[in-house]
Amino acid sequence: MAGIGREEALAFRDQLRRLLAARAGEAELRRVMETPAGYDPTLWRQLAELGLVGLVVEAAHGGTGAGPVALELAMEEVGAALLPGPLLGSGVLAAGLVAALGDEATAARLLPGIADGSRIAAAAITGPAGSWTEAGVAVEAVPDGGGWTLSGTASFVLHGQNADLLLVAARTAEGIAVFEADPRAAGLVVAALPCFDHSLRIAEIRFTGAPARRLGGRPGWAAVEAALDLAQVAMAGEQAGAGRRVLEMTVEYAKTRIQFGRPIGSFQAIKHMAADLLLEAESAISAARHAAEALEGRAVGAGAAVHLAGFACAEAFATIAATAIQMHGGIAFTWDHPAHLYLRRARADVQLLGAPAWHRERYLQALGA
Amino acid sequence: MTDALRDEVRAWLAAHWTGPAADEAAARAWLAKVVEARWAVPRWPVEWGGRALPDAEARIIEAEFAALGAPGTGQDRTNLYANTLLAFGTQALKERLLLRMLRGEVPMCLLYSEPNAGSDLAGLRCRAERRDGQWVVNGQKVWTSYAAVAEYGMLVARTDWDAPKHRGISFFFCPMRQPGVEVRPLRQITGESRFNEVFLTDALIPEENLLGQPGQGWAVLQTALAYERSVMGEAARGPRSGVAEGTGEPPLIALAREAGRLGDPVLRQDLARVLAYRALNALNTARAKADLAQGTSSPLMSLGKLAMSRILHEEARLRTAILGPESLFEGPEHPRAEDANFLTLNAYFTSIGGGTDQIQRNIIGERVLGLPREPEVDRDLPFRQVRSQ
Ligand SMILES: Cc1cc2nc3c(=O)[nH]c(=O)nc-3n(C[C@H](O)[C@H](O)[C@H](O)COP(=O)(O)OP(=O)(O)OC[C@H]3O[C@@H](n4cnc5c(N)ncnc54)[C@H](O)[C@@H]3O)c2cc1C
Repeated sequence: MAGIGREEALAFRDQLRRLLAARAGEAELRRVMETPAGYDPTLWRQLAELGLVGLVVEAAHGGTGAGPVALELAMEEVGAALLPGPLLGSGVLAAGLVAALGDEATAARLLPGIADGSRIAAAAITGPAGSWTEAGVAVEAVPDGGGWTLSGTASFVLHGQNADLLLVAARTAEGIAVFEADPRAAGLVVAALPCFDHSLRIAEIRFTGAPARRLGGRPGWAAVEAALDLAQVAMAGEQAGAGRRVLEMTVEYAKTRIQFGRPIGSFQAIKHMAADLLLEAESAISAARHAAEALEGRAVGAGAAVHLAGFACAEAFATIAATAIQMHGGIAFTWDHPAHLYLRRARADVQLLGAPAWHRERYLQALGA
Repeated sequence: MTDALRDEVRAWLAAHWTGPAADEAAARAWLAKVVEARWAVPRWPVEWGGRALPDAEARIIEAEFAALGAPGTGQDRTNLYANTLLAFGTQALKERLLLRMLRGEVPMCLLYSEPNAGSDLAGLRCRAERRDGQWVVNGQKVWTSYAAVAEYGMLVARTDWDAPKHRGISFFFCPMRQPGVEVRPLRQITGESRFNEVFLTDALIPEENLLGQPGQGWAVLQTALAYERSVMGEAARGPRSGVAEGTGEPPLIALAREAGRLGDPVLRQDLARVLAYRALNALNTARAKADLAQGTSSPLMSLGKLAMSRILHEEARLRTAILGPESLFEGPEHPRAEDANFLTLNAYFTSIGGGTDQIQRNIIGERVLGLPREPEVDRDLPFRQVRSQ
């Protein structure tokens, strides 16, 4: 992936930060997360116009043509704001999957709509076990006349209920291939799953002989894995940015909340927690940015960098969000306080693309152990 | 510009570097060459053996040296003694010592801690008085690493007993090889004797060995401590057996493989977790350097030492876990146990020395995150009225 320069990426990040500050505050988040779609279509269009939705789509296909480094930086802002919506599922994972197939005709047909936000694509990859490995694919494709039909179940499909385009990884006699399906077609049912993180949208899709079109290009699991790596790096950026933000909120609170006649932040029990969390937060930022650089440069050892970010960022965000509640005391146990919104997102992110234990195992393998 | 510089370093290294020094004399000879060629402190002014280069260009030199494993450059970041002297020393002292220090010819020690002043270093009671154009020192220091071999000690002593604790301290280069300085080795938990007690009885220090102004030693000390902590955050002593670390497979993986434990899924999780600590610290350090090169200060600088302390304790714990009952043993027939046990103990060097982990957390909380200070009852009292022990 090519990538824009660092200056440009930083300038883009700043623009995004301003838009999110104006349009994606906590009140907005609370409003849209209780709507069925889970995101604000007007803001989504604005984000697309800014270039966020098509950030990793090549300019030739209507995108910004930025690479993983700019994506990661942007996702730090997205995470800090807990921005809800199909960005990760459609703009990153699905767009990344189409691009990874490497078939020009498919890319030219599908990517412009994804990049300009007018189409929401969802990648249906893993089955109900949620393992994100080749073995986890639980949809089968069989030839049917000129086309194919799909049977089986895909789960953990990000914004599957909002999608108008499905990209389905399915088994064929020759291994894994990627198929395009219409979510409104007969022979499939999209069921929204209730999520603990109310700002998240996940669907399970049951295929019972749904018609599908096989997409050309790079066959097999490799394309899926490339798209998952990209999504993983984006999510790592989200986690790093969100973790840093909750920590900032918590430190601010510790400076102003007075008990025993002094700010609680002057107590070592609180101060030392904050210091430890800063190490977690900064390490997450380092890990996420390093993984993005490794992907952008297609560096040898990129796998290790991606999986390191996979568990380090997830656990850092989860630890920070959980500890933040303890550091705030009772106020953070209320629904109206934002701390639990971060904890919910953190707990979701820990599971979304593979649990930390799995990433740790993959990290070791990538190191040759 | 940068390409020309890279070519110049490469050519110089190609002409001079012949591999790791066989003994101390060879190591010194190498350092002397590096100093002479002005590679030792490229960021320093030309006057003191430097090249006045910006950080980014100095990094190029460091990278070229590192690629060959050649030591000696980058002392403008890592040589805490020389940097402190450059920043605060008198012209005469600099002329006498700076280049010798860069050439590794001046063994040094740190005369900071006292029996009653450890974490609370500003509570120190070692006394220095000006008499007949020199300073006369009386008091006791403790935990002084390398005092037995040092030529000079960087000394903090109280010169004003009426000022509050932080404001009556002065900073000196104290000559160690004189009758007024008595060094008694202490045996450490590792069995080694690197640190010592130092008794100062009418020890004499020339006027020109004062760094900064009298009473402003605390500021000098902060500079010296910052260098010390940043070095401790980047690297630490490896196993005593001297088995080379760094290149190739991470030592923990090699050990687990050798011990036949690499297939144990529980151990693998632990292994990945612990390896990540070191990997993340290296990434943080790299990011801190990049921030620095761009002229922005970085919170990361303060985190390295705390991170390194966790790395060392956790790596030692995991080594022990990999070995299991083998770690009961010591001696030359059990080198793996020797390493695990030594590293377990020596990890405290980083978590206590140079400011404990708890003090580091205070510093991060207060100076980086801006949290309010701990109330300090004796902070503004004239030192005479301060209670100790
Ligand atoms: C291997 C080694 C080498 C050393 N080398 C040198 C040297 O060369 N020169 C030199 O001058 N010194 C040296 N030291 C001394 C070192 O700097 C001190 O040991 C250290 O600063 C702690 O002081 P202390 O030992 O008096 O412990 P104390 O200050 O008495 O601390 C005891 C415990 O109380 C905690 N504590 C103290 N104050 C606070 C606080 N405000 N908040 C929270 N917790 C607190 C500490 O974290 C620690 O757990 C060395 C130490 C070691 C272990």
